Amino acid sequence: MIVGEQKPISEIKEIIAPYKKILILGCGTCVKTCFAGGEDEVAVLASALRLACKKDGKEIEIEEFTVERQCEDEFIREGAPAISRNEGVLSLACGAGVQALARRFVKIPILPGVNTTFIGVLEKQGVFTEECSGCGDCMLAIFGGICPFTRCAKKLLNGPCGGSQNGKCEVNPETDCAWQLIIERLKILGQMDNLRAYVPPKNWQTGLSGGPRKLVREDHII
Amino acid sequence: MTENFKPKITLFHCINAFGDADELSLTDMNNCEIQTVKMACSSMVKDVFLLKAFEAGSDGVVVLVCPEGQCRYVEGNIRAKKRVAWVRNLLDEIGLDGRRLALGNMAAGDKTAAAQIINDVLKNLAELGPNPAV
Repeated sequence: MIVGEQKPISEIKEIIAPYKKILILGCGTCVKTCFAGGEDEVAVLASALRLACKKDGKEIEIEEFTVERQCEDEFIREGAPAISRNEGVLSLACGAGVQALARRFVKIPILPGVNTTFIGVLEKQGVFTEECSGCGDCMLAIFGGICPFTRCAKKLLNGPCGGSQNGKCEVNPETDCAWQLIIERLKILGQMDNLRAYVPPKNWQTGLSGGPRKLVREDHII
Repeated sequence: MTENFKPKITLFHCINAFGDADELSLTDMNNCEIQTVKMACSSMVKDVFLLKAFEAGSDGVVVLVCPEGQCRYVEGNIRAKKRVAWVRNLLDEIGLDGRRLALGNMAAGDKTAAAQIINDVLKNLAELGPNPAV
């Protein structure tokens, strides 16, 4: 999922300062799971902003709404009536959601309330870790399902650097050494031979280095 | 402190920790208004409820929970403690002052402990004055 974190209230206050009537629009998918922009977070932020504005003597009307998914037009439509009756929209979705809204509602300012951080997993309740860089050329099959591009601080593709201690990365001792994890996993799978093959330097053109990417599925286009 | 300030307190409490606010003996009982919200477990106190209490005009909010390790639902009071800490930070951030919100652990029926916790909040409110967002 996409992991994000709500912006500090002080920054959000500045962002919404020019508006007197604003909609806080949540997203019920990824950012809900990471407690950044679901229905509950919309309610808390709306309440906190109302209190903050009242304290500062600023009049503001805040409406709350959450759609199932902000990055798809089909779901955004549900929020259209609420969006159109406000001066601006504070989106608690990821950057994709914010831009999908901006594309559909051209005349209404769409403002970000969340800092989108990474593609990750829920490691345990309340802890999210980055596990995928969206490189566009997945090689997890040979690395036992553990991505060295994302999880090795040095992005090494042909074995460990030798600097890890007790299974922890020398760059950040709180991070597990990805290569230790890869080797342990390949041992369990009986696939240590995977590491005999040389992995050539990565072609970063399939990633963001090649510019914004587009996926076209002709079979779904009418 | 504002003259003639009679603080309004919303008291969220776990029914296993605390029974009735009428039985409290507060030093300033006549100088405050207490509204109680009973919960089956303190873990039901969501952060938005705490903020809504301030939006509704409370000057202070108190959450009374069972002692740690004695929650009927194992960890409800720990969850409440973490949420209260989160909302206290939020109150500081928006300038309402986190001291308006307090959480207290108390053994079932220990009215003295409950009164002490509320009296402490009343002391803070005497210094902080009325809710500035009302």
